[in-house]
Amino acid sequence: MSAAAKVVDAARDVLLRARLIPRAWIGALCGGLLIATLPFFFPLDGKPHADWLQFLGRFHPLLVHLPIGFIVLLPLLEFAGMKRQSMREAAGFVLWVAFASCVLAIVFGLLLAYGSGEIGSTVTTHMRGGIVLAIELLLCAVVRRSWLAGPQPRSYFILLTIVLVTLAWTAHHGGSLTHGSDYLTRYMPPTLKRFIAPSAVSSHPNSFFARHVYTVLDTKCVACHGTNKEQGGLRLDSYESLMAGGKDGVVIAPRNPDGSLLLKKVTLPPNDPHFMPAEGRAPLTPDEIARIRAWVLAGASSDATSVPGIFIAEDREEAPPPVGDYSTLMGEIRQIQQSQGAKLVPVSANPSDGLILRTTDVASSFDDAQLAKFQRFAPFVVEVELGRTAVTDASVETLSQFKNLRALHLEGTAVSGRTLAKLSSLPQLSYLNLSATKVSSDALAPLKNMPKLRHLYVFNTPAEPASSGDSSLRSTQ
Amino acid sequence: MKQHPLCSDCEDPITPIDLPIPSGLKEEWSACESRRQFLGRAGKVLGWASLATLFGEAGFRHRVFASAGDDNNLKLPHFAPRAKRAIYLFMSGAPPQVDLFDYKPNLAAQFNADMPASVRGNQQLTGMTAGQARFPVAPAHWPFRQHGQTGTWISDLLPHTARMVDDLTFIKSLNTDAINHEPAIMLMNTGNMNAGKPCLGAWLAYGLGSMNDNLPTFVVLQTRTNPKENNQPVSSRLWSSGFLSSEFAGVGLRSVGDPVLYLQDPAGVDRETRRKMLDAVEEINRQTLADVGDPETNSRIAQYEMAFRMQSSVPELTDLSKEPQSTWDLYGPDAKQPGTFAYNCLLARRMAERGVRFTQIYKRGWDVHDNVVGNLPILCQETDRGCHALVTDLERRGLLDDTLVIWAGEFGRTVYSQGGLSQDNYGRDHHPRCFTAWMAGAGVRPGVTHGETDDYSYNVVKDPVHVRDFNATILHCLGIDHNKFTYEFQGLHQKLTSPVPAFVVQGILA
Repeated sequence: MSAAAKVVDAARDVLLRARLIPRAWIGALCGGLLIATLPFFFPLDGKPHADWLQFLGRFHPLLVHLPIGFIVLLPLLEFAGMKRQSMREAAGFVLWVAFASCVLAIVFGLLLAYGSGEIGSTVTTHMRGGIVLAIELLLCAVVRRSWLAGPQPRSYFILLTIVLVTLAWTAHHGGSLTHGSDYLTRYMPPTLKRFIAPSAVSSHPNSFFARHVYTVLDTKCVACHGTNKEQGGLRLDSYESLMAGGKDGVVIAPRNPDGSLLLKKVTLPPNDPHFMPAEGRAPLTPDEIARIRAWVLAGASSDATSVPGIFIAEDREEAPPPVGDYSTLMGEIRQIQQSQGAKLVPVSANPSDGLILRTTDVASSFDDAQLAKFQRFAPFVVEVELGRTAVTDASVETLSQFKNLRALHLEGTAVSGRTLAKLSSLPQLSYLNLSATKVSSDALAPLKNMPKLRHLYVFNTPAEPASSGDSSLRSTQ
Repeated sequence: MKQHPLCSDCEDPITPIDLPIPSGLKEEWSACESRRQFLGRAGKVLGWASLATLFGEAGFRHRVFASAGDDNNLKLPHFAPRAKRAIYLFMSGAPPQVDLFDYKPNLAAQFNADMPASVRGNQQLTGMTAGQARFPVAPAHWPFRQHGQTGTWISDLLPHTARMVDDLTFIKSLNTDAINHEPAIMLMNTGNMNAGKPCLGAWLAYGLGSMNDNLPTFVVLQTRTNPKENNQPVSSRLWSSGFLSSEFAGVGLRSVGDPVLYLQDPAGVDRETRRKMLDAVEEINRQTLADVGDPETNSRIAQYEMAFRMQSSVPELTDLSKEPQSTWDLYGPDAKQPGTFAYNCLLARRMAERGVRFTQIYKRGWDVHDNVVGNLPILCQETDRGCHALVTDLERRGLLDDTLVIWAGEFGRTVYSQGGLSQDNYGRDHHPRCFTAWMAGAGVRPGVTHGETDDYSYNVVKDPVHVRDFNATILHCLGIDHNKFTYEFQGLHQKLTSPVPAFVVQGILA
């Protein structure tokens, strides 16, 4: 047989079989194709169109809840139908209503996206999800007939499960469009959050931008200016895209907050048509605006960790752990206070704030041996003032036993720095003053790994950096 | 028979204590004052009402201060303080905020225009300008520029301050109740316009105690006056301890000659002799205390002792020969002249290192009623470098972490010109409704500007800060809750911030 005859045979075969296909299937096929072509009538070109389209389109978020309700009701009715026939009959009706409302929601959704000119991957995904859902519902309707007739007991339920999964997925994307992509995860407990891969907003996760600017943008702006939607051709979901700007040009002018479009728009009167965030979304708080303004003024850097003039509670130094109660030693402490010599002074009326060892009265005669006498108070001492005393490197070793030490003054002493490494055993030490000593920069090296040491002073020492005008070395780690 | 402490031959006169009379009568006698003491007191115009408290228990109600603040140390600070000490740069006479800090770019176009009456409202002006026919706007004569990463606007008159704006906390909405110097400067320092209340430094000395027994807890430094300037008088009322024991009053170091007069022993008296003399005086004083029970006797004993210790600590304090060259580079040549503002700033830093709790530097002459253009540059030139040097020096030496620096006057100055306004000159009258102060260091947020004034730098439009709030905030930085820090006197729980509610300015706290 010739090849041509084979093809003709096959075609005839298909046509013969096609005649056997129930009419319902053909109807479903045509309906599905029609729905699938809907987006071609309303191509998402990113341009806003006639206002009436948007006006109608804005009913989409309302209508969309109709199919959701019906679809969720469907499996309930089917299960109930196993006992009561009337429920099963109702399920058939609900399925068709679900399909009809689904198509309606798709049409309005397209009007919204087309009318407002929204584009972006989430918009597209959400739209495709809706269309797939409608087609699946149509298939359900067809399969259900044969399921009722008996021959395909399982396929209907499988299809129904797929419908529910599709629904959840589509609805999630819809939610992301209105509330922002991190709406669900923002307040998730950190233990759970670890399982979700963190999004890399900046190559400097500790920068002021990443912590205090991006977070504002992400909450207030990215819903419309991000991967989901790109209103005005502007994306604000990364440092690079923020600085690149949108169709109206750059939105951030470093060092010039008044010339930065972004700041202009968020500070317009709320009823101004250009006010951002648009569409009645939560406006930026004065505090958030102040953060962004200060960041822009300071140069809009991607990696600076702090911005002058702006302080944020969580950036403050963590309160050190309370020290133990020294009340039982109070008698002795009082005695020391009344004697001539170094004194133990409570930091505050609250005993858990610890004690200060103060030597200013007797600085010139206070030496290593005297310090050693205070070792028994070591757990309660949080600050030791040894400025201009006669202590030497030996005292540094003694001090390494003061485990709650937060501030240590050694300025103007004979400390050479030889034993400074011992101090790295002090977990709470955040202030160390070595001004006017003989320490060299080599001696400071072991201090580099101390996590809490934020204020290190080496003014007037060999370790002092020569370059800077104000020759203070304030190492912030 | 009792032996007289200074004389082996003489004896004390017989007193009722030595007589064989009932002990109750003896107690009554010792609680009473002698005729001489009584008349002495009455001569001080204490009046009959207060006299009542001199008898019986009431006279002994207040704690007798055995040594400065020793008990208080255990109750104060109320919470862990950010600042251990403070340095207050007091610009007496009231610097013009419009010319220095409160930048109003709109004013340039309104030169000589009448300030709208609505801005002034129904305010009562001083006698110096109330009679003026008009109130012409006098814009700042010098340009402003933005400085630092915070972009803070500062007048070109303050090039050094401008370099450290990122380290400063500005309050532009400070306001006061008084329109004249004396009540205003009293209010600023003591929280009350009337004399007799303790000042901030005395409260701190009383509450927080000394950090170095060899130096006063509270030191006042006067800047030598410039006769070209309009110098308003300052008096020891401003650093008085009021109703607190007088040992908490500020100790003034002289700006010229010896910092403390007669501190050096006269020729031929060695330290041991001096010690013996003081011991004897103390014994006499203790006897007086036992007889009279006046706590001021204790203060006197403490002050003698302080003076003795200051004989060695003050020369060390004021010996600047060991200061490195970097100090002179920073503070400038003025700092070598005792009595200049820069010299006082350097002393303030040295005292901060040596544990002086509170140092107040007075700079007079800011009262520019006329010739602003002539005098203001001089005033700025005298103070600007010292302010910058002090903050920078404290910072590089690691002292700014626990020292609070405060710069303030007693009120602001008007935007309208007092007297004639010309292109070349103008004057400014007192203005209590708004003025600018700055702080730096422990407890406050660097780089912050708090509060706003209207377009005429006349009324506060945002975040007003009253003098009470300002003082409450200073106390807060030093770990003190101003509402809990009280002293019972005249039937009231007296406090620095007055009975009117005061609020810590949360917006500037670090």
